[in-house]
Amino acid sequence: MLKTRIIPCLDVIKNKVVKGVNFKNIKVMGNAVEMARYYSLSGADELCMLDINASYQNRKTFIKTVEAIAKVINIPLTVGGGVSGLDDITDLLNAGADKVSINSAAVKNPKLIRQASLKHGSQCIVVAIDGKRHENRMKVVVKGGREITKKELIVWAKQVQSLGAGEILMTSMDTDGVQNGFDSSMLKKVTSNVSIPVIASGGVGNLEHFYLGHLTKSTGLLAASVFHSGKYKIKSVKKYLKNKGVPVRL
Amino acid sequence: MKKKVIGLIDGQSGNIGSINKAIKEIIKGRPYQLKIIRGEFDYSLFNKIILPGQGAYATLISNLKKLKIYKPLKIYLENNCSYLGICVGMQILSDQGYEERTTKGLGIIAGEIKKFKSKKLIIPHMGWNSIRLKKEDSIITNNLDNKDFYFVHSYIFQNINKSNVLANTHYGKKFPSIIKKGNIYGVQFHPEKSHKYGLNLIKNYILK
Repeated sequence: MLKTRIIPCLDVIKNKVVKGVNFKNIKVMGNAVEMARYYSLSGADELCMLDINASYQNRKTFIKTVEAIAKVINIPLTVGGGVSGLDDITDLLNAGADKVSINSAAVKNPKLIRQASLKHGSQCIVVAIDGKRHENRMKVVVKGGREITKKELIVWAKQVQSLGAGEILMTSMDTDGVQNGFDSSMLKKVTSNVSIPVIASGGVGNLEHFYLGHLTKSTGLLAASVFHSGKYKIKSVKKYLKNKGVPVRL
Repeated sequence: MKKKVIGLIDGQSGNIGSINKAIKEIIKGRPYQLKIIRGEFDYSLFNKIILPGQGAYATLISNLKKLKIYKPLKIYLENNCSYLGICVGMQILSDQGYEERTTKGLGIIAGEIKKFKSKKLIIPHMGWNSIRLKKEDSIITNNLDNKDFYFVHSYIFQNINKSNVLANTHYGKKFPSIIKKGNIYGVQFHPEKSHKYGLNLIKNYILK
């Protein structure tokens, strides 16, 4: 039976994992390579790392960090943040990423999804979608939720699938960072409209939130703070889910 | 003592970093050496060959042909020399694949590569799933039965002779996840990304 994936997410600047709400009050949580090694050993099913400050200067260090992490883990690694074109994708795959996640570059230029999946295979192209409610509609947003695009969330989700995305990393900007749980209604809307895997992101604060995330038919559950702060160990989340009847890898 | 030579084929189908790293860890301090195969090669120099693959069947076959790896590899396999194909590296052992376009395979293990059919399934089959062992073998020992391995694929090996199946996995339906014919092995999952049990399998393959 296919297991529900528990995915810690590392928001990275250069080689440090950071936490900040809406890019303010950024706090260093630890060394990215050390944290990645720890999560791989302690039962993470996959690892996600995002360059949250992909400036030209920081990029080189970030790529080196991807290389270093790929060397110390033996679970799949998804890397995103600051991916603007095909060259960035190739660079990250060469650095050791198994999957690359594209966000605003895909919104700007949807053809990039098609080009990337033809070049590298759908299985390594993840499209990250940030969604937000606006005037009673679910819209696609960019720039950390600050810019609302014209795209309807569900239309876009279907489109990225048809363009060849292998997976959707779905973050609700309405619930991200506040630890009140995943955005179940938004996630359900997405999972019921696509047939590719969806990773739920944004809002986990307690164990029950993971279970509710599973009920949305998302096959991957992504979390950051609850793991980085030490509130939960990956194993304890999985044991909890197993007791609830959710298939997990223990 | 003469070192045994492990060949790792870079078919430009996904990155070979993880498998490269896994093999190096395993052979460290042991009488083995690793050679990366990137073009035409003398198959008589290799004791074992590993081919990891991601992406499409048609792409991998055409890459191997372009790189002049296809012919020596086919002769190597026709002589029942030791091989481990991972994911698409396993699939191309079949007679034919239907991903992107109909493509003739290496024709080593009878069967065809077809897409998962059910409309209800989330495709690709992506994530950790367990294997059910049918026959114990040197690469897949009893302690790996029912363990989880990492899968990413939309196509499966079909119409295979049952005697070539070492393990099955269930996703919508049962499909072969480890196959074998003589000294030739194929695994549908990615052992190099499957944590300790994956490494265990690669180690079994290399050392036994």
